Amino acid sequence: MLAEFVMNVIGGLKIGAIYSLAALGIVVIYKATRIVNFAHGAFVLAGAYATYGVVEALGAGYWPAYVLVPLATGLLAAVVEFAILRPIRRADIFALITSTIFIGIGLSEFYRLIQNTEMLGVPNPVSGRPIFLGDVIITKEQIWVFAGALLSALIGVVIFGYAPLGRGLRAVAANPRGAVLCGYSIDSMNAMAWFLGGALAGLAGVFAAPSQGVSPELAISMITAGFVAAVIGGFDSLRGALFGGFILGVAQTLAAAYISSAMANAVSFLLLFAVLMWRPEGLFPEAKIRDV
Amino acid sequence: MSDERLRALWQVLLPGSSLFAVAIVGLLLGSYWQYVIAIALGAAVVGGALAMLVGYARCITLATGAMLAIGAYGAALPVVHLGAPFLAALIFATILGALAGLTLAIPGVRFRSHNLAMVTFVFQAVVIIVLRESKALTGGAEGIHVPPPVIFGFSFSSDAHFLLLCGILFALAMLPIAILLAGPFGKNLRAIAANENAARAFGIDVRRYLIAAFTWSSAVIAFAGAVDAPRFRIIDPDSYGLITSIFTLTYPIIGGMGSIWGGLIGGGILRLFPELLRPLADYIELVLCVLVVATLTFFPDGLASAVLMLRRRGPHKPLAEGAARRDSRITKAAPLSSATLQPNEAANRAGENPVLAIERVSRSYGALRAVDGVSLAVERGALHGLMGPNGAGKTTLFNLVSGFASPESGRVMLGGTLLDDIPIERRITLGITRTFQHAAVFQRLSCLDNVVIGLGRNTVTDGTRRSLAAALDADSSRAEREAGYAALEAVGLAQRAPDAAGALSLGDQRRLEIARAIVSRPRIVLLDEPVSGVSAEEANRLHALLLSINRELGIAMLVIEHNIGFLVSLCQSISVMSEGKIIAEGVGPAMVDDPRVRRVYFGEHETTG
Repeated sequence: MLAEFVMNVIGGLKIGAIYSLAALGIVVIYKATRIVNFAHGAFVLAGAYATYGVVEALGAGYWPAYVLVPLATGLLAAVVEFAILRPIRRADIFALITSTIFIGIGLSEFYRLIQNTEMLGVPNPVSGRPIFLGDVIITKEQIWVFAGALLSALIGVVIFGYAPLGRGLRAVAANPRGAVLCGYSIDSMNAMAWFLGGALAGLAGVFAAPSQGVSPELAISMITAGFVAAVIGGFDSLRGALFGGFILGVAQTLAAAYISSAMANAVSFLLLFAVLMWRPEGLFPEAKIRDV
Repeated sequence: MSDERLRALWQVLLPGSSLFAVAIVGLLLGSYWQYVIAIALGAAVVGGALAMLVGYARCITLATGAMLAIGAYGAALPVVHLGAPFLAALIFATILGALAGLTLAIPGVRFRSHNLAMVTFVFQAVVIIVLRESKALTGGAEGIHVPPPVIFGFSFSSDAHFLLLCGILFALAMLPIAILLAGPFGKNLRAIAANENAARAFGIDVRRYLIAAFTWSSAVIAFAGAVDAPRFRIIDPDSYGLITSIFTLTYPIIGGMGSIWGGLIGGGILRLFPELLRPLADYIELVLCVLVVATLTFFPDGLASAVLMLRRRGPHKPLAEGAARRDSRITKAAPLSSATLQPNEAANRAGENPVLAIERVSRSYGALRAVDGVSLAVERGALHGLMGPNGAGKTTLFNLVSGFASPESGRVMLGGTLLDDIPIERRITLGITRTFQHAAVFQRLSCLDNVVIGLGRNTVTDGTRRSLAAALDADSSRAEREAGYAALEAVGLAQRAPDAAGALSLGDQRRLEIARAIVSRPRIVLLDEPVSGVSAEEANRLHALLLSINRELGIAMLVIEHNIGFLVSLCQSISVMSEGKIIAEGVGPAMVDDPRVRRVYFGEHETTG
């Protein structure tokens, strides 16, 4: 019983790590540009598809994918920002959010048109005997996803939170005019934020591809999970997004194991609803600063 | 007179009648076209309903598919399982839709933008899961067979009969939406979309309005779903999924956000695409996505609006009305007192003095005591100035008086009524209004509409009743327009009455704000920097305007202004704030020379100069 429970938690942490990556990208883009990117699920899909391309179609293996895929999805996101969102940056929030919804659907549709199969499979990057710890069985794939996604997420946190680039991003977000006076360019900072967010989405795609497969469903499930994880974390907090992803992943896996598989989605909706209703600032809010 | 009355009635009958007319034209065509037109009319109704929620209130909803499903199943299940008559089932389904909208909106409207989108998305997903899992009732994922509608023994099974039925029912369904959107209800929704704070200051309860908008539009969408369902013969949960929700969202966006026509035309035409462009069926969704993004980029008001705009270049009706008025009474500020301004009952019992009493009020933000034990009284009909350096707490004090912030200690009395527990939206009825530091006119509404909102009486019930009155061009709604014109004339903007408020210069926007604040004849107006950012000449004119309003209407004013010359010459008494406290009080010129005041402004010491 206990072993089963522990294995479920480990499975949940694996999924949760992917959710964390997806949520992190959403939060990075939101923090820097105040746009909630509903196209993020499609970016993850693009990442998973690119992984398929590198690993399966080119047969190049996984190592190039870790570098090429985030570059590609980062560029895709930056192009979306540059070509579509920048011209309407002065529009109201309604127009911006609706745009990202339809950009996401459009990308998924585009994928469906060029790749008319049901679902593309991507092989596991690691294989071999699982690890036994008493009754607990841990697969190498779980370790790979958990460690890899967590590492990627931490790199993202470090870049945004501590590197000079991150300082510029946060400055532009906090006070655009002030940041411009200090020599930052809003345009390039916005593009960088989208690149960073897109790259994180791409990495989420790399780690999601083997276990979830590549299909338009992936886009929907990833935007939902990423959004819910971001809300749990407070939407404004990188740390919160990380924890939110893990909480969501574990909760979903436990619900699926102990209640019914249909409950996995219901749990994420319940979590979203509960957090929005009772703690809209999230479980891990950043320090509050009053808007003057 | 009756001419105008007909026009008002026609305006709300036209959307439904056009649907009916299209149905009649469809009867002349073949049965395939009749089928297609029936479907398109249903989409037009959905678009019209979404015009209220998406176009006017600018809420993003992803629950339209669920509402259609609730309507479709809500009507089909009683017919299939209980043998209920179609019309009864239709009414049941519509009520069910309204309840669903209410259930979704009560928690939902706490949020805006992305969180609201997500809450509606959750609702959508849950409804579909429930439909799919309740196999015994709904037939699960395989769906359920829906028989053709039977009304009084007549079965509408042929395409022509069904189209006729659609024409009649949809014309009826459009009526309430058209009435609400054409009247004050719709204008108040647009005011909310433009500026929630300003809307609340004039008595518009944002949450109740959005709940009402969700309820109405959900009821009509469910109605459309219920009427359309028999045409599909078999309905299944997946036809009403998230994709449906997202693509119905394209109707008002591509069609146009500012009017019911955008939704109607958008729905009617876009729903035809997949039927007419069968060979390109695979690309439809992608094309729609590109269309939406292109519309948002190049025609933010939608394609239908863009076309209408071109047409409207000619002389248009409200302008002509304004011009007629210009001829009939060419008067300057004179008619204020004789004008048909709405009598404010609060103003009539304004015997108490002072009109506004702020008593030892405090408010902190974190460690900052923004307002610290401030007491201040404004005499009846007085002009009272409030000055002080930036960050002194003047605007916070305004917010405490108008209800946007609540005092931690102390109290605010308006002529003997304690204001503390009275919500912002009700304060206008007590005779207190305000302007904002950054001119907060409702940009897309006409100047006249802006001022009419200033009359108050904007609760959901009042808004609904007044919309009905406007559709019938009742005396009450004409009186409102007269009062609005009178106030616009008073501030010198009568000629701009039909123009969008956003098109005015900053000085004129300030005037419009003043007109909106005085049209209800409040006891006191709070003016937050009325001349900031306007030219010196314009400041002089606003000075004269405020004086004449004060003299003729006896409205007291509490004025924040950094332009000290303006403030001193306008106000009989002046209070000076610094660091949350009132440091000096007295008549204007004396205040400027007061050493305490000089110290906070110039850092001068009493010994110098």
